[in-house]
Amino acid sequence: MFELNTVLAFLGLLGVIVLTFLLLSKQTRISGMGESINNLQRALDEMDEQAKLVVRTDIELNKAQEELDRKISSLYALQKLSRTISSTLEENQIFKKIELNFLDELGFQKALAFLYDEQEKKFSLRLALGYEEDETAKIKAFIESRKETYHDLILTEKAVSSIASREKLFDAPKTKEVFGVISFVFAPILTKEGDPGLLFVGAEKQDTVITEGDEELITILANQVGQALENARLFEKTWQAHQDLENRVEERTRELSKALEEVRKLSQRKNDFVSNVSHELRTPLTSIKGYASILLSGKLGALPEEVAKRLTKINKHSDELVQFVNDLLDLSRIESGKVELKLAPLNLKSVIDEVADLLAVQFKEKQIEFSSESPADLPEVMADYSQIKRTFINLINNSIKYTPQGKIIVRLVLAGKEIQADVQDTGCGMPESAMDKLFTEFYRVDSAMNQEIKGTGLGLAMVKNIVNAHKGKIWVTSKVGAGTTFSFTLPLAY
Amino acid sequence: MLDIGIGFSFEENSFLAAEEAIKQAKAQLINSGKIDLCLLFNSFDFSAAGVSRGLNALLRDVPVIGASGPAIISHKGIFKHGITVMLLGFPDGAYCRVAATRGIGEKNPFACGKELGENLLSGFKNIPRNLGLLFFDQQIEGGPNFVSGLQETLGKGFPCIGTSLSNQYDTSHSCLYLNDEALDNSCAGILWGGKTSFGVGIKHGWKPLGKPHTVTSAVGNIINAIDGKPAIEIYEDYLAYDAAKLTKDLRKLSVSYPIGIFVPGEKEYLLRNVVSTEYRGALVCQGSIPEGSTVRLMISTPETCLAAAAQAIEDAKNNLSASLLRQSSARNSRFAIVFSSISRYNLLRRDIKKELNIIKEGLKDTVFLGIYSSGELAPLTATSHHGQIYFHNQDFSVLIIEG
Repeated sequence: MFELNTVLAFLGLLGVIVLTFLLLSKQTRISGMGESINNLQRALDEMDEQAKLVVRTDIELNKAQEELDRKISSLYALQKLSRTISSTLEENQIFKKIELNFLDELGFQKALAFLYDEQEKKFSLRLALGYEEDETAKIKAFIESRKETYHDLILTEKAVSSIASREKLFDAPKTKEVFGVISFVFAPILTKEGDPGLLFVGAEKQDTVITEGDEELITILANQVGQALENARLFEKTWQAHQDLENRVEERTRELSKALEEVRKLSQRKNDFVSNVSHELRTPLTSIKGYASILLSGKLGALPEEVAKRLTKINKHSDELVQFVNDLLDLSRIESGKVELKLAPLNLKSVIDEVADLLAVQFKEKQIEFSSESPADLPEVMADYSQIKRTFINLINNSIKYTPQGKIIVRLVLAGKEIQADVQDTGCGMPESAMDKLFTEFYRVDSAMNQEIKGTGLGLAMVKNIVNAHKGKIWVTSKVGAGTTFSFTLPLAY
Repeated sequence: MLDIGIGFSFEENSFLAAEEAIKQAKAQLINSGKIDLCLLFNSFDFSAAGVSRGLNALLRDVPVIGASGPAIISHKGIFKHGITVMLLGFPDGAYCRVAATRGIGEKNPFACGKELGENLLSGFKNIPRNLGLLFFDQQIEGGPNFVSGLQETLGKGFPCIGTSLSNQYDTSHSCLYLNDEALDNSCAGILWGGKTSFGVGIKHGWKPLGKPHTVTSAVGNIINAIDGKPAIEIYEDYLAYDAAKLTKDLRKLSVSYPIGIFVPGEKEYLLRNVVSTEYRGALVCQGSIPEGSTVRLMISTPETCLAAAAQAIEDAKNNLSASLLRQSSARNSRFAIVFSSISRYNLLRRDIKKELNIIKEGLKDTVFLGIYSSGELAPLTATSHHGQIYFHNQDFSVLIIEG
């Protein structure tokens, strides 16, 4: 019995020891798990703290990304809008080009544009987007009631917006209320000339945040509008000036045409007069010359020497007068186009040779050395033989008159589709002032030498008319004491 | 085989735009004399009356269902101004019925859903029904209740998906189209039945961040407290924003960092955007949050968002394949309807084109049209249609229909 009790007591003790051991072991494990739970809780809290950092960094990144995206989109929109605005040169059309879809791309839903009339000191509305008529009228009245403030805003040349830090500079709450927006930007429209203005854009969405970037963007847009307005005004001004100039040119052309018509009529009258008078003169001249010739022939009896001498003079002067009258008639005919040119291929070299033969006596009398130069294969010109011969006679005769002694050279050269003829002498030459009028009818150079040399002042005028009638040009170069060169051109035959 | 024609227009004038899009769609139909349904989406800036006139002029007696939204999705791109129209000619044995329930803002959502179900069922006797597609023109706080009402009539666990098209970010107003009417304060629905197969995929791409929290007090869509503290503190704590700044910016911030509700057995958390704050730091969410829910702050990147879109399309295709195994294997044609949350549009910004490319690549030759929305109603896991419909934020969902 005792032994059983002892065994039981021992077993009980052993059980207590084992249980104690198990309890202690459990407690150790629980304590270990508690620590693990604490560690886990701590890790979770740390992870949560890291999550907060992630969220905050993500917010900043998102903001930056959003701003960047908005700027890129706005810049695209601004570029499109600028291109559209620049495509017009009409002031009224510029504002019509700003449309709601552009505005939306810039991140705004409402826009207004005013121009300020500096003379009348008044704002006029040029653009209203996103507003009903009654709202626009209310805003116009508001602007008008504070026009000094808004004019000052233009003068600052800086944008004003609803950015919180700047609200004190401007009555932002009132502006938001009247303009019906949550945020806004005002930017001055600046122009070098003409009326400046104000551009207003507003956002009605609660979550729109205006940044300094928006201010810059709208300032750029306002500048673009200002530039476009300036271009339009400049164009308008230029166009107006162009119109004025065109009107004046037209008016002047009308006046000149009228004057030219008058000149033509006068010239025609002069030609008719010269022609009539010449004809009238020629008839009595022919009689005078005829009678003088009869008397000089001695058929009516011998004449005393002195009478014969005078009659010879009458005869000679009559010849000169007939020549003069003929020249006058020819000049008049050529000028009025009554002379029909008989154009045909003509070898100028042979014409010059003929004229040289004709004038050989005179060269000899004045001891003038005459020569002509021309290339062997010189092509023919299209000209009237008798008129061109007359031209050379006149020009060479002229050289003979003003060359007391020396040389006369006629040169022919090919000049493009023309042949240029130069009649050069080593005579007395003439002052530059005389050259302009040299081809005018009846003009004679005012010089001592000319007092002694006879002339009518018709020869060179006639030469000019003949050359012009051939569609050629004539000019002169001369130097006092060094000689003169007359040059003219004639078109090639082929 | 479904006869499908799709048209698109950028015309400024609403009437002319509708006319142009319908003409284009008609021209693509094999049999333009048999049009059984017109699906239409347009951007907010179109006049509903003008569009309706265009529809009436060219589609007299054709059932029409459609909606306006902040932007439309088409093969040609994603547009804030545009209209897209799909005309469908059904094969023998395929059916649909369109109907609407009005005044949903003032009525009990369950009753509204039931009423719509009854309207849809009328004239659908003895035809097997497959799927309900719903369009709401306003926020659907009681959306799941609405669907419960609908399922009361159509059958418990009847598959439904829906989308809300109200514009939560500005004052533009959404409208719905039903036959020759433009509706507001309404829900318009379409009931598909007969020989048609469906595949739905829905994903968002947001990932949980930080430690889990418990909603300790919530009523409907308002969370009063999280972990026993004012709900707003979760944002103050994570974002390091003070209450005043949060009140101003939270609506926008919660698009990037919504609250995710853990749903046991689901891979993705159910997202809730915060639309405003209330007295004592309560958060007003877009959709209800049950008290006791485990919630976490969610975060995403454009990459995870886009990967989710690709996954949703794959899910829809897989679901359709599974559905087809149960149907006949005749040669069919298919089309897709895409709903993407406007939050994604705002978040992806310039990368939104990448989402369109993913749609094009994923759907390949499948004709599609889509619209940006402000919330979706759909089963949480597309592959397990247990019939439970949840309200989703920021999701991308695809419905592929074959017949």
